Amino acid sequence: MSDAQNPEPELGEAIAEMGAETLYWCMQCGLCTGGCPWRLTDGDINKEFNARKLQHQGQLGLEGYESDNNLFACTTCGLCVARCPRDVNAIDNIRSIRMMLAEGGTVPQSYRPIVGSLTDNGNPWMETRDKRTAWIKDLDVPTYTEDTEYLLYVCCTSCYDARSQKIARAVATLLNKAGVSWGIIGEEESCCGESIRKIGQEELFTTLAEGNIELFKSKGVKKIITTSPHCLYTFANEYPELGGEFEVQHYTQLLAALIRDGKLKMDKDLDLTVAFHDPCYLGRHCDIYQDPREVLAALPGTRVMEMTRNRESSICCGGGGGRVWMETPPGERFGDLRVNDALAHDASVLVTTCPYCTIMMEASVLGLDKDEEIAVKDVAELLVDALA
Amino acid sequence: MSQSKATLVVGGGMSGISTALELSELGRPVILVEKSPFIGGKVATFNKYFPKLCPPTCGLEINYKRLRKAANLSLHTQAQVTKVDGGPGDYTVTIEVAPRYVNHKCTACGECAEACGSERDDDFNQGMAKTKAIYLAGHMAYPHRYVLDKEACDEADLPKIKDACKYGAVDLDETPQTLTEQVGAIVWATGWESYDVSKVDYLGKGELPDVITNLQMERLADPSGPTGGKILRPSDGKEVESVAFVQCAGSRDINHLPYCSGICCLASLKQICYVREAAPNAKVYMFHIDVRAGKYEEFYAKIQADEAVEIIKGKVASIFPEGEGLRLQVENIESGESLKVDLDMIVLATGIVPNTADLPFEATMDDYGFLMLGDAPGIIPAGCVRRPADVATVVQDATGAAMRTLTQE
Ligand SMILES: Cc1cc2nc3c(=O)[nH]c(=O)nc-3n(C[C@H](O)[C@H](O)[C@H](O)COP(=O)(O)OP(=O)(O)OC[C@H]3O[C@@H](n4cnc5c(N)ncnc54)[C@H](O)[C@@H]3O)c2cc1C
Ligand code: SF4
Ligand code: SF4
Repeated sequence: MSDAQNPEPELGEAIAEMGAETLYWCMQCGLCTGGCPWRLTDGDINKEFNARKLQHQGQLGLEGYESDNNLFACTTCGLCVARCPRDVNAIDNIRSIRMMLAEGGTVPQSYRPIVGSLTDNGNPWMETRDKRTAWIKDLDVPTYTEDTEYLLYVCCTSCYDARSQKIARAVATLLNKAGVSWGIIGEEESCCGESIRKIGQEELFTTLAEGNIELFKSKGVKKIITTSPHCLYTFANEYPELGGEFEVQHYTQLLAALIRDGKLKMDKDLDLTVAFHDPCYLGRHCDIYQDPREVLAALPGTRVMEMTRNRESSICCGGGGGRVWMETPPGERFGDLRVNDALAHDASVLVTTCPYCTIMMEASVLGLDKDEEIAVKDVAELLVDALA
Repeated sequence: MSQSKATLVVGGGMSGISTALELSELGRPVILVEKSPFIGGKVATFNKYFPKLCPPTCGLEINYKRLRKAANLSLHTQAQVTKVDGGPGDYTVTIEVAPRYVNHKCTACGECAEACGSERDDDFNQGMAKTKAIYLAGHMAYPHRYVLDKEACDEADLPKIKDACKYGAVDLDETPQTLTEQVGAIVWATGWESYDVSKVDYLGKGELPDVITNLQMERLADPSGPTGGKILRPSDGKEVESVAFVQCAGSRDINHLPYCSGICCLASLKQICYVREAAPNAKVYMFHIDVRAGKYEEFYAKIQADEAVEIIKGKVASIFPEGEGLRLQVENIESGESLKVDLDMIVLATGIVPNTADLPFEATMDDYGFLMLGDAPGIIPAGCVRRPADVATVVQDATGAAMRTLTQE
């Protein structure tokens, strides 16, 4: 390493204690760096971000990782974690370095308003709580009561973002159609906290999570359906440690079961070729690959293409790990890779099932000027299109 | 036990041959059982031995000579041990022998193959060529007697093959045999298999023809191999101008083989010499986590000094087609640079997996599936089925195993 710095082992140990449990298992082989999706892009982040080196700096307690293009590049896609020969969890390690800096008060410019909004309003989109249910419009959406079976937890993105609201409405329409006992809580809910934790805001995450756990418990919630794989991941993997044990599933899991049982049927022939993009948090992080495919297979007249990189080897949309809130220059966006892969398979719809993926890939479609050729849709939206 | 009880040696690679010869030359009866139609194991397919770069044929030839002279040694090829009962000093074993359809009268003249129109994939040449359905595995094959792969042979070719042999050696009526033997000790020396690289998704999944394994490289470099010793790109036969050796293709990886396969670094260093000799203008790369040359550090140093060879620390992260050739993505750990390297051919240094398929006994294995000396059935493992090692080491191991059988008497 060329950086002429003095190692500070205590700093490395402090990082390890913050959750970088596998930091010292790393043998510096470089597989993570070489296989990271940033290598498929050409730009400053590709030049600056190196997961292996970042962890090495962490091990040695060397400073100098503050550049946003370095420390905040990781999208937490998990590709390197799945492949690491030493089972090192680069995501936890990088998150812990971010956490250490956050505790010292270093928060990247782009994240400051997000942190502020989450602290004040419980959502990252700079909106007030009372607008959390604005997505409903004229739909018939039940309120969760003790007698309801499932709580539908709508991702903040689909609560507030105009494009994403359509996803929430599509999911609600399908649940109604299939006669599911479901309801929402609405205004009192806060963001699940998954992504803010990834940028190192541990305290804020804990506050959000504990608030939700208390709320869910007070309403008697047992089973949760999420619209986003990110909420799914944190409810299933991070909430239990804070005392929140719920039976959680992604809506595509429930729909796959409903279709299997003949409770939901799509009759309209869409005559489409679609390509499916595996969201990292549904696939690699929650090991769900089959359910969304099964749901898509129930669409009459729809040809579902597998992209070149799919399932366990799927490439991130670029929106995880807080990147959805940070500008990525055109030409460096992972979404471009996904859109081009889908186009190469003659798909006219790039279908996925995560609100972040939809945002990121839609931005790429526009950036690449391909909106005449391809659209980005959530699985739920396609299903609604095919309802007779 | 009585002195006259035989020892059963399973596996006719360097380890099994060595154990069998040691015992036979001590005057002990031995039954040597080999699954394939020929003995020699992996070594019989090698072009040269590290570090001296001499052909393995001389060592094999010496062993085959000893075998021809060995008294009290019966060799069963195309044979498998399917049942083991009893314990040390007193085993009853069942051996199933498949028909060869060619008897002892064969002079290996090859007339039968001339007459045969059917072909089969040449496993000896790692699938890179075809042989006739009646064949010898390589010019050194032992026993030097043809074998008929009846499944691969067209019905119409069978009488032609039979008629072509003027010695009456082709016997199409041979049937499978089941032998029951009483033995005093058993040495298990079934060797190893290459790790299945299709399991490593980022190294081409076994789907790219110009990404080959180190075992295929042995055959490509061999003057008696499918390319006559020229190192040609499998997809189009182009002479290679750039080759990369990718170390730890599966080894030292918690998701694949958690252990070091021990010999692949040296095998690649040796194969770098093949490329340098056969294609002197080719650029050669080796990508590694670290090079483990063991007692042959000097051999490594010699190759490091060669300016046409670039040895780079970094675990290869992806391989994909690029134009006519291949592109590889890796981080050079020392410089921190991300490299994209364009190549004609990539050789995967695939790891060693112990060959323990269909064991007819309850085996004691280590964490990685290698056989250990277990007390239950008293069976003695030897060679690469026990741990990854080079030939010199497995021969010592085989001698040790031979001695151990004596203690079981
Ligand atoms: C690419 C490469 C290059 C190498 N180059 C060298 C080198 O240059 N120098 C060196 O010293 N070492 C080299 N090695 C190591 C060498 O291959 C091993 O040391 C050697 O093969 C070990 O011999 P073995 O008898 O234990 O196993 P094997 O060679 O695998 O022999 C095992 C035998 O058992 C048979 N068998 C398997 N299962 C059964 C069964 N169930 N019943 C009956 N028979 C069975 C097999 O058919 C085979 O004949 C190299 C390894 C690799 C991967
Ligand atoms: S984190 Fe894993 S893949 Fe990355 S350098 Fe360390 S050991 Fe290699
Ligand atoms: S998790 Fe994904 S984005 Fe982050 S370092 Fe690993 S491969 Fe790169």
